[in-house]
Amino acid sequence: MSGLRLMGVQTLELARRSVVNERRQLLSVTPGLVFPLLLAAVYSQQFRRVLALPGFPEVDSFLDFVLPACVIQAVSFGATAAGSELALDIENGFLDRLLASPVARVPILLGRLGGSSVVAAIKTVIIIAVFLFFGAEVAGGPAAMLVIVGMSSLLVLAVGGIAQVMAIRTGSQEAVNASFPLIFVTIFMSSAFFPTNLMSGWFRVVAENNPLTWVIDPVRRLVIEGWATGDAVQALGLPAILAAATIGAALLSLRRRLAAP
Amino acid sequence: MTAVIEATGLERRFGDIVAVDGIDLRVDSGEIFGFLGPNGAGKSTVVRILTTLLRPTAGSASVGGFDLATRPGDIRRLIGVALQDAAIDPLMTGRELIRLQAVLHGISRNAVRTRGPELLERVGLTGAADRRVATYSGGMRRRLDLALALVHEPEILFLDEPTTGLDPTSRQALWEEVRRLNGEHGTTVFLTTQYLEEADQLADRIAIIDQGRLVREGTPTELKATVGAPTLRVEVGRDNVGTARTVLAEFGSERPALEGRAAIGLLDGAARVVDVVRALDAAGVPLVHLELDAPSLDDVFADATGRRLEGATDQV
Amino acid sequence: MTKATRATGWGHGWAVARAVCMRGLRRVLARPILIMPTLVMPVFFVVSFTGAFSALTRIEGYGTDNVYNWMAPYAALQGAVFAGVGGAASAADDLENGFFDRLLLTPGGRFPLLAGTIGYSGVRSLIPTTAVLVVSYFGGLALPGGPLGLVSLYTATVGMAVVFCLIGLAIVYRMRTMRSMMIVQVLGFSLMFLSIGQVPIRFLDSWLHTAARVNPLTNVLRLARQGFIGDLAWSVTWPGLVAVAAMTLGAGFAAHRGLVKMAP
Repeated sequence: MSGLRLMGVQTLELARRSVVNERRQLLSVTPGLVFPLLLAAVYSQQFRRVLALPGFPEVDSFLDFVLPACVIQAVSFGATAAGSELALDIENGFLDRLLASPVARVPILLGRLGGSSVVAAIKTVIIIAVFLFFGAEVAGGPAAMLVIVGMSSLLVLAVGGIAQVMAIRTGSQEAVNASFPLIFVTIFMSSAFFPTNLMSGWFRVVAENNPLTWVIDPVRRLVIEGWATGDAVQALGLPAILAAATIGAALLSLRRRLAAP
Repeated sequence: MTAVIEATGLERRFGDIVAVDGIDLRVDSGEIFGFLGPNGAGKSTVVRILTTLLRPTAGSASVGGFDLATRPGDIRRLIGVALQDAAIDPLMTGRELIRLQAVLHGISRNAVRTRGPELLERVGLTGAADRRVATYSGGMRRRLDLALALVHEPEILFLDEPTTGLDPTSRQALWEEVRRLNGEHGTTVFLTTQYLEEADQLADRIAIIDQGRLVREGTPTELKATVGAPTLRVEVGRDNVGTARTVLAEFGSERPALEGRAAIGLLDGAARVVDVVRALDAAGVPLVHLELDAPSLDDVFADATGRRLEGATDQV
Repeated sequence: MTKATRATGWGHGWAVARAVCMRGLRRVLARPILIMPTLVMPVFFVVSFTGAFSALTRIEGYGTDNVYNWMAPYAALQGAVFAGVGGAASAADDLENGFFDRLLLTPGGRFPLLAGTIGYSGVRSLIPTTAVLVVSYFGGLALPGGPLGLVSLYTATVGMAVVFCLIGLAIVYRMRTMRSMMIVQVLGFSLMFLSIGQVPIRFLDSWLHTAARVNPLTNVLRLARQGFIGDLAWSVTWPGLVAVAAMTLGAGFAAHRGLVKMAP
């Protein structure tokens, strides 16, 4: 088998293992879907009067507004899984066994990331379906929905990459899991739940300069206003660049760890 | 003799698994009672039941005169327990744990001030007393666990495999401590072990447990007497074992043996060894090695269950 | 004769409860990282909610024109829930590493063990509540109800810590793993959301309005918040106290039963 094909096969196998792992941990996956959906449902109900505020985007329902946030929250629950699993494998020695095997370095990292990316895509499809069922409208049509799925998958790769860097550096599952609250906070400090033009002070500055806002706003426009290629490119491009950067960092960290005496 | 521990029909199920299958036992005051059996026999489960850590699914028991079902809180006042997995908090120091244990058992602060250091000295942990338990070795944790079991000078001491994982010196030290507690303070000791020598050396009476059931009970002498004949073991090589067995069958009943060997309970004792050798020679069986052993607890176990006890030293 | 003849009666029970509580606090001092989620998350909540949802005060009928006055008690209560779960989590830790057996071997009944654990949670809850108040003070928090407003808040938060500790213990005594704490966290979050956390009840419609009305946490939130949005009123205070008491009794019964079922 050629080198590249072998890497592909190994990556797929490790990805499969990663997905199967998540399925087994159903208890921990379900909150990742139920909680964001619950949040969206509650916010749609309690923020009805907010829609009338001057400066708020023209929507029929808060659901249309909060769809991107709900997706991102849902996939954030599993985003650190790639790093967390890697840390666990480091802790219990399984990584050493992998490294001693003929499996190439790249699939060791990509396999897990691939797995969590697939799970993220599935979650996103489920969420969009639920939202549509409850009356949300995606003005940009099926193309916009595909962009949302792609965005979430890439975002998970980006976060997963950072988590893997942490895993390789600290070797501790606890440390990786401790970063989850940070993601939660980052989502809040963006335009996820409220438009930035209705914020004030230093918080507004932070939210406007949060890269997550730069991803959420174009996705939201695709949902509310309709298809625009520029928005689609921004919604996919930013996470893609981030993912490339963090995965590169993870690979570098792994190489450094192996080279260390 | 007053019974301090009594159990009738004690049973414990975990789903479909019957870990303890209708055990009756009685331990008298001041006794060292040994509970001997292989891994998974149910020894620890029995200990957990008698120490109120686990409810039995059937049967009844009393400890220190208190009924297990209705007065568990009173039982806990009288007993000290050192479990198979040392029950200690890695974030605390040895000294802190002793102090906590003292409070939990109602020992006054003044009493702890002398008792604490004394106990730590006895188990050889004075130097490590102010270090976090997470830094202790396995042996040190066990010794601390024993100290915790003794803080309140209990009348009845439960020790669940107390020397597993200990080096020979520590093991001897623990045996000395058990004998001292029993001799000087009259402490009743309920000891579980998978080590024959430990049961043989320490226990006044032994109960052998296998697969949740009591199979034999008595003093070490009584138990060995049930086996009767000494064990004759011959090493003849794999190809000759069948022939050897046939020859030996005339001299006694077969006993379990390792590969390449045959063993019997030799009737009429050592006098017949010469006849055995002659008979093997006549049958053309080359004799590599021969041994005659007085009955051991392993023989008792083998006689009762048809298997050797795990952890028994290899009899070559 | 055993020296432990003092291990009887109320005096002993109180000593056991106190020892369990102090042990919990000492462990946190030994490993401060344990307290980080309880401390940091509520502070982040108050900062995030006041930042993201500051425009809510512009809506007529909101109840206050100072978003900190509305959100700070909510964030403090959330922190108290975390503190409660933290207390149950330390029991989960003990169950997983075997130390729980040592505690179960304590003479007498099981109640002092429970009391010590909830005591620890209650004390622990003081940390996030105070942290939220300090941070909110710098954000412009006001206290129109006076010092009694603080009493009302701390009563609510300590009460919530106790309740969620007991709920957590009831679950952990059954499942015996740290992972079961996730269930309690989710329950806590969900109950807080299905209430008047971010907006008053008159803003809620249909199913959410009904949910908030029957949710006991709504009354607890009102109890916590009353001193910050106006004067204290008995009509707001007693439903909150009743909610805390009822939940404590219910969860306490479940927890005690779970403990006794595990080991008599």
